[in-house]
Amino acid sequence: MAEILIKHLVKRFGKVEAVRDVSLQIADGEFLVLLGPSGCGKSTILRVVAGLEDANSGEIVIGGRLVNFIDPVKRNVAMVFQNYALYPHMTVYKNIAFPLQIAKRRKDEIEGAVQRAAGILGLEDLLQRLPGELSGGQRQRVALARAIVREPDAFLMDEPLSNLDAQLRVQTRLELIELHQRLGVTTMYVTHDQVEAMTMGHRIAVMSEGLLQQIGTPQEVYRRPANVFVATFLGAPPMNLIGGTLESAADGWQFRRQDIDVPLSSDVIDPSALQLEAEAGAEVQFGLRPEHFRIGPPGTDGGIAGRVQFLEPVGSDLYLTVEIGDTSVQVRTDPDSPLQPGDNLTLLYDHWRVHVFGADGHNLRRDAPPVASVAAPAPTAS
Amino acid sequence: MADQGLTVEEASAARSAAEFSRAARRDQLVRFGKGLAAYLVLAVFAVIAVGPFVYLLSPSFRKSFELFSYPPEWIPHSFYTGNFGTILNETSYLRWGLNTLIFATSVTVITLAIDTLAGYAFARLRFPGRTLLFALVLSTLMIPTAVLIAPLYIMISHLPDWTHSGVNTYPGMIVPMVCSPLGVFMMRQFISTLPEALVEAARLDGASEWQVFRKIVLPLMKPAIVVLGIFTFMFQWVNFLWPLVITTTDDMKTLTVGIASLQGQFVTDWGVISAAAVMTMVPVVIIFLIFQRWFVQASMAGALKQ
Repeated sequence: MAEILIKHLVKRFGKVEAVRDVSLQIADGEFLVLLGPSGCGKSTILRVVAGLEDANSGEIVIGGRLVNFIDPVKRNVAMVFQNYALYPHMTVYKNIAFPLQIAKRRKDEIEGAVQRAAGILGLEDLLQRLPGELSGGQRQRVALARAIVREPDAFLMDEPLSNLDAQLRVQTRLELIELHQRLGVTTMYVTHDQVEAMTMGHRIAVMSEGLLQQIGTPQEVYRRPANVFVATFLGAPPMNLIGGTLESAADGWQFRRQDIDVPLSSDVIDPSALQLEAEAGAEVQFGLRPEHFRIGPPGTDGGIAGRVQFLEPVGSDLYLTVEIGDTSVQVRTDPDSPLQPGDNLTLLYDHWRVHVFGADGHNLRRDAPPVASVAAPAPTAS
Repeated sequence: MADQGLTVEEASAARSAAEFSRAARRDQLVRFGKGLAAYLVLAVFAVIAVGPFVYLLSPSFRKSFELFSYPPEWIPHSFYTGNFGTILNETSYLRWGLNTLIFATSVTVITLAIDTLAGYAFARLRFPGRTLLFALVLSTLMIPTAVLIAPLYIMISHLPDWTHSGVNTYPGMIVPMVCSPLGVFMMRQFISTLPEALVEAARLDGASEWQVFRKIVLPLMKPAIVVLGIFTFMFQWVNFLWPLVITTTDDMKTLTVGIASLQGQFVTDWGVISAAAVMTMVPVVIIFLIFQRWFVQASMAGALKQ
């Protein structure tokens, strides 16, 4: 087991800068999820750590050892690939044993290690099968067994669940969590699936366009997104954003857009974070998550008046699209709500739930984290 | 309708049943016609393909003087096997066969070794000048073999004696024929279709470049190797021009060259030549039949990704 340090990593492919000055610290035993849309550079970071790609600049330190110029195998990390990358002509046993055979371990030692790994992942009965004879979930378990058999210092997982169907994905996710709890190996896990990130990661590093946007615990990145990208990438449906201006009011600040006026508590929002002169009517975006709206009868004070446009029942919840002024927002509410399209209502909210994003996308909340150019120190892993 | 003993429904049901069976008959006829047409077309091509073999097979079992009878006879009166005896007893046929086997097998084995390695290098290794080199390899495809024969002969015939690789030697025959650019191209294309992640996984598992090739890539290339192997072997088994040029003594001739030498200046025993040709064909046919299953699998391999 080992701590992984990534310092000012830059990786270019031709003229494209895939990773732009990313620094991360992954504590010993931590489960860190790299989350972001396709092409954001998250897999590239993983491949650079594994040694499959060379960094253009920056340092990779694993277990206190600078590994930039060390062969992949000597970094002692194991990678699990999206498409499993099982050797199709070898049985499950030989697939799992392969790294040990290459390392020229003794036969009885290999036998014992393979049986142990197979036992952990419930593959004892499948050892003589070929990968082609296995289901997707079983193949993924073989890939994991091949990774753990070497007892590596760290696991690098590149979207390992994305080839599985929805049901199997949930099951395998739990198995991965259990595996991590059992082995406690430092893990870097790449995914574009926010549910995987929220459920599995001790911390989540959100990436976009090669830049680290924010790093923090799942709760932190969800509740206190550093910028518009993080706010909208996490959450389904995503956070509502309404463009408008910031105005000064008698008792502080308020957000204004046509006939929408939202007073902002200066305990929560700190417009001084804006580079611009706040009084000048700076362009901002007002943000509120769909589940943070409450519904009140029309004409209630202290809310935003609106009218129901569409209903989307999803079983556990009801999503409403509510028209407010010249725009609309999504509201998550009780599935048993009697509301119908065309109904008028008032959207209520707690003032401390409100986010306001400046023109550069940064969150103006007082408790929002600074832009994550350098990662905050990692908390101790649970 | 009622006085005919049928209700309206029954009548319409009967009518539609009759229409249905008529339509079914028509459909059957059309299908039969289409099938017949397809078989006729195939039959024409089969005759074109098989005709020469039958034409070769027939005289090999006949005495020479029967060959020029008029009208020509396709099916021999008597089943004469003397031609085969003549070949085996009065010519160096077995020696030619051995030479051909050594020649074709060696060329095939060496070609496979070189082409798979070169294909792997071009497909998976990054080195300066890779694209240029590959283009160079491909460009040699455009040079006709006939153009190369004379320079190759001059090169081989001028090799010093200590190399034991001159005219009328196995190395002299084999070496200039090994490594086909088409094979390099085939292997490179095939290796390119193998998932990159397999190679990366093997590297992370600690495999050296050679181990990646030997333990991961090579076993997965079996279909491509079989195809290239069969092509190369068949081509070299009947290769005529190069063995003709590079061999001058009877005991170094290959089958094709040996059979050609059976043509006399004044008299040619076509029965004997036919018999020799038939015997030459047999091993190739057997090899093809053995590997046919693999051959078909290999041509399907690209289509169905696991």
